[in-house]
Formats: sequence, structure tokens, C-alpha cells
Amino acid sequence: MSKPIDLSVNFAGLKLQTPLVLLSGCVGFGEEYTRIEGFSNADVGAVILKGTTLEPRMGNAPHRVYETPAGMLNAIGLQNPGTRYVIDEVLPRLPHHETQFWANANGSSLEEYAEVAAMFDDSPVTAIEINISCPNVKEGGVHFGNDPCMAAKVVAAMRARTSKPLITKLSPNNADIAETARLCIEAGTDGLSVINTLVGMAVDVENRKPVIGNISGGLSGPCVKPVALWKIHQTRAVADKHGVPILGQGGLTTPQDALEFAITGARALGLGTGLFYDPLLCKKVLAGLEDYLSRHEMDSFEQLVGSLKV
Amino acid sequence: MNSNRNTIFEEQASVVAHIHHPGAQSILRLLAPKTAKSAKPGQFVHIRVSDALPLRRPISIMLTNPEKGTIDLLYKHIGEGTKQLSERKVGEVLPMLGPIGTPFDVSDTSKRYVLIGGGVGVPPIIFTADALAGKADVVVFAGSEVEFPFALKPSTFILPGITGNTTLTIASLEERNIPCRLASNAGLYGCYEGHVPSLARDYLLALSDEERSRCVLLSCGPHPMLHAVAKLGRELGVPAQLSLEEFMACAIGGCAGCVVKTIEDGQEKYRRVCVDGPVFAAELLPEFS
Repeated sequence: MSKPIDLSVNFAGLKLQTPLVLLSGCVGFGEEYTRIEGFSNADVGAVILKGTTLEPRMGNAPHRVYETPAGMLNAIGLQNPGTRYVIDEVLPRLPHHETQFWANANGSSLEEYAEVAAMFDDSPVTAIEINISCPNVKEGGVHFGNDPCMAAKVVAAMRARTSKPLITKLSPNNADIAETARLCIEAGTDGLSVINTLVGMAVDVENRKPVIGNISGGLSGPCVKPVALWKIHQTRAVADKHGVPILGQGGLTTPQDALEFAITGARALGLGTGLFYDPLLCKKVLAGLEDYLSRHEMDSFEQLVGSLKV
Repeated sequence: MNSNRNTIFEEQASVVAHIHHPGAQSILRLLAPKTAKSAKPGQFVHIRVSDALPLRRPISIMLTNPEKGTIDLLYKHIGEGTKQLSERKVGEVLPMLGPIGTPFDVSDTSKRYVLIGGGVGVPPIIFTADALAGKADVVVFAGSEVEFPFALKPSTFILPGITGNTTLTIASLEERNIPCRLASNAGLYGCYEGHVPSLARDYLLALSDEERSRCVLLSCGPHPMLHAVAKLGRELGVPAQLSLEEFMACAIGGCAGCVVKTIEDGQEKYRRVCVDGPVFAAELLPEFS
């Protein structure tokens, strides 16, 4: 009998039971997909909770989502009940024995990011993902993530307030993702999520209005996958030197996509829009990984990570 | 832990029948046994209409047949999704999630449920009427600006406040002893000439105060119609439940993409149409109050 294939991964000091990570903003506050028969938290290494700010936010007016060719736009507007509520009311109810739950921290100032980090430090989340693609209210609304130095300041501000692993979510809308990655690593990030959505829009021609209530939205789905792979490849050049792992995300909707992400250098594999296409995608991706590893005589997923021949 | 675990099923639903009607309307029968067995009136399914449009489309359930394992959907070809759905043939398989959503609250069988549906909002009304037949007092008012995609026949029920040429009903409802009348602005024979909320208003005004106080309005249809139903409820002091729709991505509560504004305890909130709705009490919805 052949040796069982080990799909677990070490990621930013954490042991994930599988490389699959359910992405922030796609899975509510952690337990929505278990409504579906056949979905199991045991299939995923971590679930990243919906983006959370210090105070509650209502979010954007509808429409918030719209299908586009090979993808979709979304502009939810960080609807969330605030960090205190998440810690007091949401986290105690989650099945932490089934999988890990990570927070996704957001802020409109360095102080807010730091405070959110400090509050989640004393909670059962095992890691904190940082959404640096938030407007910096004090600097005229420029997104923190668009300026590599500002992105690093967010990481440093949070690093000072938590000992939990920090995973910084990098924007593809930034000219030099490798430089942002380098500065964020120096500021103390333990992992990198690559990539966040691309900014786009759609037009309702009958009414001559933007379809999305917020005008612009984040573009995700298969149409962004080639961008994600390229950005992972660029980021890896920096990340590997420091032993910082990459959570690859952006249009992963098939088992084949998962292989491409892993080979390019993603140690963890993020599922977002792919779940909307197929809510039972996790089992199919895991089966696809096992089949591939077996055919290529590898006994662990980690052997595949970053095996790209250039 | 989520108390809603394992309540929604992913089914590979095969097309059993697909009948097209005038006015770009179609009735689709799918083999989806788990959904057929557990669906409640007001719930919907989320269907992948074609490989070219992998994001699924939400469609209300019109009828279920738990014994045969089928569900019926009525939809109008409006957007790209429903146009592509209309091209699906018998035998094709459509990945489908269902049943989804908070159904109409019809738990109090001492009430009289006044069901008001318009256009593609008629299906959940049919499902609700069918489920309540013989269990609670029900009356149906349905409106359409194109030919109804159902067999119609003269009604044998006399309804207070309904006069003149408003004679026709939906045959399947008549067979289940559910009184019903129809409305249209398109000059359809046997239908009340006007909007369906006006027809329902004539009926409600003709009831005694005691009868009216037992009534609950359940409604689904285009926004102007829902506005009129909500206004009618306020005017006559009758509570109303409205079924809404919105663009959806996940349809299971994960993305918060499909929201509607509510006011609860004086506070504005956005609620998810997919799992917090699609049915909401009208008084929670500032857009309709």
C-alpha cells in the first residue's frame, strides 16, 4: 500500500490541516458554508473572517455584486459589526476544533489598524490578515497599499501590538508589488496574501449609470488568475529569501488552477469567487492535488510548492 | 456552531420539462429531490444557467412535488442569465443550490393569508397557496401585463368586493379550493382592469372589521407593486410580508452582496436578501414604509 499523501502545510508558524484557505469577504463570519450539505470545515486549513474595522460599518448601497466575463465585481464596503462584537459574540460560537479562523483587519488610520490588532491579539483567531487596501483618511484617501512605505507602516503598527502571525494582503493595483512585499517583511509580516482584487467597473447602458452602487468594485474570478500568478511569481523572489510564505489567491476555481498556484509558489491556496461557482469546490481541489501528487510520486503538498522551472 | 448546518443541498438538477409561454415566460421543471422534499413557500434556488455564466442566478420556487422529486420554476427572460436559462433543453443538468432563504411566516393558521403576486412574483404566491390549502384561510390575487402562463377558468368562489367581469382564476388553484382572481392592465379577458393591489384593496375593504383584522398580506412582485401593497397594509392596518430580490453571488450568506436596508430598533442596517430574506416584514423596510 502506498504511503498516504500529506496535504498539511506549515504557514507562518501555523500548521494548516490542508493548504486551502477560505477568503475574507466570501464566507461571512466563518460558518455560512456549513449550511450546505457536504461542505466540511475539516477540508480547509483556515477560514478568514469578513473584514473587520474597530467600529461597526453599514457597508455600501446596492448593487454590490455583478457578474462580468469570467469574473465578477464586488463593492460590499466592509459591512461589519465592529471588532468588539466579533470578539465577544462571533468568535465564541465558532467551531475552533474543526479548523482555524483568522481575522481580517482594516482601518482608516494607523491607530485604528493597531487597535484592531491589539484587540484580536487576545482572541481565539490564530492569525490576522491585514487588508492594506483601505483609504488612509488622514492622507486624502490614498490607499495604504498603494504606497509601499505606508503599507509597511501599517504592518509595523500592528506588529507592535500583537504576537499573532500577521499576513499582509498585497494589492495588484500597486506598481511594484515586490518592493511592497520587501518593506512589509522588514516591518514584521509573517506571510503575504497575493493578490487582492483589481479595481474595475461596469455600466448599465439603459440607465447610463454604473451597475455597482459604489461605482467601482473589486474584480475577481478566473479573469484575474494570470495576474495573480504573475504577482505571486514576482513576490516570491523577495518572500523566499526571508522564508515568508504566500497565500495565493485570485481566480482559483478548478483543481488545475490550484496546481498552477502551488507550483508558482503559493504555500496556501485561497478560495473566494470559486466557492460562488461551486460551493463544494474544496473536496474537488483536494482530490485533484492528491491525484497529481500521486502521479508525480510526491508524498507531500509542500514538495510541489514553488517547484516552477524557469 | 451554526444551527443551519446541512439545510441547503447542492443538486445536479436535470431538466424534466421546459415549457415556453407568450411574453418571454418559461416554466422549468427540474428533478431535485432533496430540494423538493424540504422547500418551504417563499424560498428559492440558486442555479447555474450555463457554463458561460458560472455565477448562479436566484429563482423562486413555484411548486414542489416531493413524491416525484421535482420542483417547478417560472421565470421571465429579462437579463442574460434568464435568456441563457431559456435555452436549456430536457435532459440537460444544471448545478443548483436549494432550498434557500427565510420563507413566508404562515405559522398562525387562525389568520387569513391574502396573497398578492405580480408577474414573476406570482410563483412564490402559488407555492404558498398550495402549501396552505386545507390548512389555513387563503385568497390569491395575481397580476400580469402579459398572458398568464397557466390554464385559467371561471371561478366558482364568490369573493366580497369583486364585481363585474373579474371572473377568471388559475385552474390549479380552483382545483385545490383556493379562491383567486386576476388583474391586468393589458385588457385580458376575465381579469380586473387595473393593478393587482387595487383588486386586493376592493376585497379587503368589503370585509368586516373582524375579518380584516385576521388578514396578513404576503406579496412578491415588481417594486412599484410592493410599494402599493405596503401602502395598502398601512392604510388598512393589515401586516404585510414582502419577498424581495437583488443581485446575488453566493446566496448562502457568505458575501453580503445582496442586501436591503432595514430599520430595526431605530437603527439602519443592511440585511442579506438571500438568508435573512428574501421575505421581510414590510415595516422593517424603509424603502416600503
